[in-house]
Amino acid sequence: MKNKEYLLHLLAEISNYILDSEPHRMVISLHQEPDGMHLAVMDDNKRPDEELEAMSKALNSSARPELAEYYGSMGGSDLLGTARLNIIGWQIKRADVGRIAEGTKIDLWLGSDRFDSSNFSIPKDE
Amino acid sequence: MLAYEKNVYRLLFICIGVFLLFALLADGIAGSAHGFLTLQLHAARLINDYTVVGSSGGALLNAAVMGLLSLGLIKLSGVRLSGPTVAATLTIMGFSLFGKTPLNALPIVLGVFLASRLAHKPFRSYLLMALFGTALGPLVSFIAFESGIGGLGMIILGIVAGAIAGFILPALAMAMLRMHEGFNLYNIGLTCGFFGLFAASVLEGARRDVSITIIWNSEPRLELILLVPLLSLLFIIWGAVSDGRKLGKNLKAMLKLSGRLPSDFMESISPGSALFNAGALGLVGSAYLMLIGADINGPVIGGLLTVMGFATFGKHARNTWPLAVGVILATLLFGKSLTAPGPVLALLFATTLAPLAGEFGPLVGIAAGFVHLLVVERSAAWHGGLDLYNNGFAGGLTATLFVALIQWVKAIKNQ
Repeated sequence: MKNKEYLLHLLAEISNYILDSEPHRMVISLHQEPDGMHLAVMDDNKRPDEELEAMSKALNSSARPELAEYYGSMGGSDLLGTARLNIIGWQIKRADVGRIAEGTKIDLWLGSDRFDSSNFSIPKDE
Repeated sequence: MLAYEKNVYRLLFICIGVFLLFALLADGIAGSAHGFLTLQLHAARLINDYTVVGSSGGALLNAAVMGLLSLGLIKLSGVRLSGPTVAATLTIMGFSLFGKTPLNALPIVLGVFLASRLAHKPFRSYLLMALFGTALGPLVSFIAFESGIGGLGMIILGIVAGAIAGFILPALAMAMLRMHEGFNLYNIGLTCGFFGLFAASVLEGARRDVSITIIWNSEPRLELILLVPLLSLLFIIWGAVSDGRKLGKNLKAMLKLSGRLPSDFMESISPGSALFNAGALGLVGSAYLMLIGADINGPVIGGLLTVMGFATFGKHARNTWPLAVGVILATLLFGKSLTAPGPVLALLFATTLAPLAGEFGPLVGIAAGFVHLLVVERSAAWHGGLDLYNNGFAGGLTATLFVALIQWVKAIKNQ
């Protein structure tokens, strides 16, 4: 897999966020796709609607190249304060946040600058 | 361009217009133009108050030109005019009253641009580093005009040195960020200070004198005294009108944020509340300085404008007051004058550590402000005043110290 450092930053930051809520179980799954990668993170924490909405908003922040390149490198390495999903949001192409039977699932699609959603396994019903 | 951006562009153009108007009132067209030209060929290291060197009119004209250049770069690169870019523009205008000029800033921007080409990144990805990186402008001016050699060759050498510094800056800036984990808002100040240590060593090795001198306007004109309060009122009214009835709720939400980098209040809260916050901090800062009888000159206005700028990108009342109290306590405890240049500037710029108070509470903030004053009074000499954001340098060191200690305590507690 390419961009190991980039992935490690994202994995650490999203793990930091999930672990803040002290789950009993956390599953991280990373898949190579035709035009990038799909990262799925699941835990057994049932979050309220407001939190899910806030998570989705932060992860789907509008493109901020000036912040992503400079401050994005902090992702996963600034573990003293609270985790910040917007740092992840600036660096990915799309995110879905939803409930599963046991808790919460976060899907992140990390693509190249030539991002084409049809190349990813993004649910078509959305 | 988003709808609110047009509004913010208008506000900043009005600010630049006020600078131009005050320049004309202070020294007229010819006087201001002459002062402006004088500044381009003058030393820029800390602390050279341009309201003395190039007259108030020249300094204000220089700041207006730099503000236009900053907005031009933001627009050309296609980056949103939001918290970080407003902070950069006001900071650049402020520091153009004591160190930055178009001549010494543009080579740094060129260097960052070349670095972006090498990294195959669009310039907009490196824009913030280019804008804030102009803090190293004194390096260009020093080699060109202060090295004691002179001539066109030295001007070219100064420009080349500035471009090299700008080229290295992005790599350093990202590494420095991880040292303090975003708890020092002026990260480029730390970066430029770090680079300045090496640059000053090379210059001293070449037997150049990089000792610190202070040119300080102790009799500022009325235009300078009125400038920030007037701009602050403008920001307050503009922000209040923009947000309308939501202002109170938005400000309350803002005060809950720690302010750790990157906290774009314009995006996360609202543009109106961020502008109101900028005006409020500018007004409170001005009132305090007037109350203690400080000189409202170029560097002090620079400090106030930087506080205002970063009030859209991390600073607010709850996370800044502990730093100010810490600086005042250290000033009084060590028998310094509250109106001396060091403590006055330290009080304004210590708010670079606002995220520490925002995240860990007022006691940590007061302690950080206390330490900051002691460090900042020494640190300018280390880099020979080549880094205009000396408080960012000292703040970065202070933040790194506190972050390391807090991390250690946290680790022990978690065991």
